[in-house]
Amino acid sequence: MIGTGILKGMAVTARNFVGSYFEKDRLITVQYPEERTPLAENYRNFPFLIYDTDDAEAGLRCVACKICEKECPPQCIYIIKSEDKKPDYMGKPQFYPAVFDIDISVCMSCQICVEVCPFEAIKMDKVFELSRRERFDALLQRKRELSKSNTYYHSICPTEAAEVDAKLAEAAAKKKPTPPPAAGSAPAAEPTPAPVI
Amino acid sequence: MSEIDEGLRSELQRQGIWVTSMQELYNWGRKNSIWPLQFGLACCAIEMIATAASRYDIARFGGEVFRPSPRQADLMIVAGTVTKKMAPQVVRLYNQMPDPKYVISMGACAISGGPFKTGYNVLKGIDRYIPVDVYIPGCPPRPEALLHAFMELQRKIDSQKLTGSEKATHLDSTQPSEFPVPSFGAHDLEPPANPDVFQPPKIERT
Repeated sequence: MIGTGILKGMAVTARNFVGSYFEKDRLITVQYPEERTPLAENYRNFPFLIYDTDDAEAGLRCVACKICEKECPPQCIYIIKSEDKKPDYMGKPQFYPAVFDIDISVCMSCQICVEVCPFEAIKMDKVFELSRRERFDALLQRKRELSKSNTYYHSICPTEAAEVDAKLAEAAAKKKPTPPPAAGSAPAAEPTPAPVI
Repeated sequence: MSEIDEGLRSELQRQGIWVTSMQELYNWGRKNSIWPLQFGLACCAIEMIATAASRYDIARFGGEVFRPSPRQADLMIVAGTVTKKMAPQVVRLYNQMPDPKYVISMGACAISGGPFKTGYNVLKGIDRYIPVDVYIPGCPPRPEALLHAFMELQRKIDSQKLTGSEKATHLDSTQPSEFPVPSFGAHDLEPPANPDVFQPPKIERT
């Protein structure tokens, strides 16, 4: 019959309107700046670089192998590899990225950089409040802004971070029996990762 | 316009007198009634619709009235991939909006072309033809990110001056409010960018 559909719709609206005074569940608006919906653990936005210990320079896991730069589909990563090696937090001399820029105005959050990284150095962040009035400088994230600690990674993705830590510890334990070759030799074979998948 | 002394203002407020300036009143009215133009170009528009729906509710910021006509709109949310076929229409819609008008460039595609920036058919950023006020990175940005950009725009409107050399562009008769619409050339849009609007700086990679 004509009009029953609209009456049903009105009934739904009226039920929600009156019900919102009695049931909290019917008030679904999130009062955004004051109140936030909890983000899912798998939510991701833009990549960041992880460093171990408290030193953002020496603790950086990235060794500038440039795999992520090559694999990035929209080509938003820009790396300049260092000329020299610096001791990392373990004391082992490593290459490091002299420049590591991610243009988040281009990044499409595909997570391919995270999947290809053999050193577990790049992970996805959850920060989304990045609106800026300028695009070229403000939306280009540099190494200093990108470097975040492993503790921070644990705070945003606890399950995944624990898995990554276990994997790295296992790889380190496997490597340990033969410490002499890892110390100073074989600079050419640098990008070959430890058996971490 | 002389600024009111903060101490005097709070003292007067304690006595029950509320003092304001023309500029503050004008900006307050304008920043709380930004009506966006109702048009979406790609997947970011879905997030824009979610922002207008009841869970995020852009009406809390005075922006719920999505106008279907550019003549009644204050804000253009460029939500999605601007193809070269669509770019002249977007610029024309912007030209048809009355002053004061603002632009939010939402998502990677609207800012820079995003994943399609090396392609042949997508405009590499709407800011090549029209001035953009706020950029939201993300692919697509969350509804909260759009609300964050909306608040950023409100802050920008709040800081605009009515008089003086730094007055808002819509009050300055020397500033253009319409921009040339690009045309379809043999290989690309003509011109590929409006040099009056688009002046990319040289980025130092250090």
